[in-house]
Amino acid sequence: MNAMFEPFTDLVPSFFGTLAQGPLTLTIFLHTVIVLPMIWIYKQEKARLEQEGN
Amino acid sequence: MAKKSVWSDNRFWQRSAAWITGFASVLLIWLTFDTSGQISMGNDSDLKNGVTKRVPGPTVINYKITYEMDKKRQHEVPVIGEKEKFFGRDDYSEEEAAKLLHLGKLGSQTKNCMNCHTLLGNGAYYAPDLTKAWLDPAWGPTGSMQAMTGKSTKEEAMAEFLQHPSQYPTHARMMPNLGITAEEAKGLVAFLKHMSSIDTNGFPRNFGKIQGAVNGK
Amino acid sequence: MANSYLTSESKKLATWYFTVAATLFGAQLLFGLVAAIQYVIPGFLFEILDFSVARMIHINALVVWMVFAMFGSVYWLLPDETGIETVGIELGKLLFWVFTAAVTVVVLVYIFVQVGAADETSIWFIHEGREYIEAPRWADLGITVVALGFVANLFMTGMKGNRSGIVTVLMADMIAFAGLYLTGMFYTDNITVDQFWWWWVIHLWVEATWEVFVGSIAAYGLITMIGAHRKVVEMWLWIEVTMLFGSGILGMGHHYFWIGTPEYWWEIGALFSALEPLPLVAMFIHVLYDWGKMQGEESAKGKDVSVITNKPAFTWFVLNAFGNFLGAGIWGFFHTLPQVNLYTHGTQFTSAHGHLAFFGAYATILIGMMYIAVQGKNGIKVMNNTTSTIFATSMITGGVVGMTVALTVAGYVDVLVTRAQMGATWAGYFDGQSGAWFAQGMDWRLVMGVVTFTGFFFLVKDLLSIGKATHHVR
Repeated sequence: MNAMFEPFTDLVPSFFGTLAQGPLTLTIFLHTVIVLPMIWIYKQEKARLEQEGN
Repeated sequence: MAKKSVWSDNRFWQRSAAWITGFASVLLIWLTFDTSGQISMGNDSDLKNGVTKRVPGPTVINYKITYEMDKKRQHEVPVIGEKEKFFGRDDYSEEEAAKLLHLGKLGSQTKNCMNCHTLLGNGAYYAPDLTKAWLDPAWGPTGSMQAMTGKSTKEEAMAEFLQHPSQYPTHARMMPNLGITAEEAKGLVAFLKHMSSIDTNGFPRNFGKIQGAVNGK
Repeated sequence: MANSYLTSESKKLATWYFTVAATLFGAQLLFGLVAAIQYVIPGFLFEILDFSVARMIHINALVVWMVFAMFGSVYWLLPDETGIETVGIELGKLLFWVFTAAVTVVVLVYIFVQVGAADETSIWFIHEGREYIEAPRWADLGITVVALGFVANLFMTGMKGNRSGIVTVLMADMIAFAGLYLTGMFYTDNITVDQFWWWWVIHLWVEATWEVFVGSIAAYGLITMIGAHRKVVEMWLWIEVTMLFGSGILGMGHHYFWIGTPEYWWEIGALFSALEPLPLVAMFIHVLYDWGKMQGEESAKGKDVSVITNKPAFTWFVLNAFGNFLGAGIWGFFHTLPQVNLYTHGTQFTSAHGHLAFFGAYATILIGMMYIAVQGKNGIKVMNNTTSTIFATSMITGGVVGMTVALTVAGYVDVLVTRAQMGATWAGYFDGQSGAWFAQGMDWRLVMGVVTFTGFFFLVKDLLSIGKATHHVR
């Protein structure tokens, strides 16, 4: 685990700097929060299509 | 017949496009605020109190700057050391230094440096990168450029070159005369010295560390 | 010009925009050639028209001709998409003349004044010395007025007429396009802050809003040229917008690795920009898939006639699909990760990417739109290639691909010698520039530049004469 997570190294601590705990943590977090809400949009649209289908 | 898939539904993609564009923009704006706070220029008291800023204040021209490997960050960073004379003085006030930097930065734009050189790696590739030019050993006491201009300090050598570039060719490709005055040259050198003190996350790598024989030369 | 089949004022205005765009394209190539000669013969026009001036005109003409052609494309497709004449067309015509006059003055000042003293007057009246957006401040303000007028026309037309998916995307995209220009207009002594906002214009134009614009134009082209189904085309367009903005907006981080900005941009820039090629793959598949599908539907009906109603334009649209993916996608991905970019940033590698990306992503499709305008203006139902079309297309494309390969080879020398071996100093720089591969790369770039420039003359000849050829279906 030592290699996967590393202590904060940048000059100024900040929210985003703290999330950058290794080569992927920050970017995976941002991708996730951007893409996840599409599930909700998907469910809404599926419900709408089913209603229209009836 | 099977129901129409959500994946081929225009409205689903339209809403996804709106969400993703909007949210990515919000994140970018948030990041911009965070970064803006970190890249604002420092001031004289930061330098006096040893507060490290990514972009130090203009009075950084009163100090010696070196480029050293930082063990923790695993790349080189500019290190601001003891006082160092710049055109014979190491006591430029905040106003004086800011005025010089202002003149130099304006000059870097009006003389169109960026359409031959790169600054912080951005620009054209027809001439050397100027990000850490101030730290280039060629301009130092034993450097070829300082010797060529016949000056005894780095800043005077650079200023001399800037005013009469085509008198000091270093390659068949030469810098043209851009009508740079003595005062403008002084400003430009201050701008270069200031730029070399910016923390560029280790770019360029190994700057000025390798001298002499490579490739059996 | 006489003998026009055009009844729409908006389409007439589009042809004006295309005419100026093609002229500026020629200027871009001419001054690019001067700069390319200077790499090979350093004394060429030394202290008369230096590299800095030639290169400034080369890249400014590039940006401006593309903006002209983009405005032209929108004015061309608006009547088709909305079903009405463009609202505020007289204002549009006035702004066209203002824009053209301003660009002419700016270029003349670049050529004859070149540099000014280190003061605000030079920034206001000569140039701002900031790559790609060098235009002096008076012109910045003028361009803003012109862009706002253009966006106003687009919005008024979109709201009054039928607002298709393509028009909706264009409305959102063009207002962002115009608005972003404002972030590149102020002056600061802090070079890090300067470049931070400079990228808001450059990156969010070419890697976000311009790409979405290309998606919209490709959608329009597929509907008009091969009769693709609007519903399918617009679904693809929304997917492209999702992916382009999803990766492109935060992909901006790949410009914030080394300019003084915090280290967290390494991660953001690396992974978001690594996804930027994906929408370009989507656009590529989309164009070729739709083509095959429409042709297949025809074949199923027992007809073996091509579904393409404008051969030259469609060729350029297909070249766009390839070029966008290769130039922006592959050549961009090459050096987008910070571990690689530490050594490639600011080398001929960037230049190679720049050439193929601007050409592949934008020049191709905008030239395609010019052919669509020629077809419309001459009232042609099915427009076929001429010999000049084939010469123009193959010489321009071959020339740019050749330049890209040559610059990539030169870029390797830059990266390996100047950067990796020599640590990027003044002496290290010239060690790299003196390398045999570098010199050969620059020689071949010049040869390929001449090929491209020759192809340009075939293009102009073709655009002016293809409408009169007799082998089209009218």
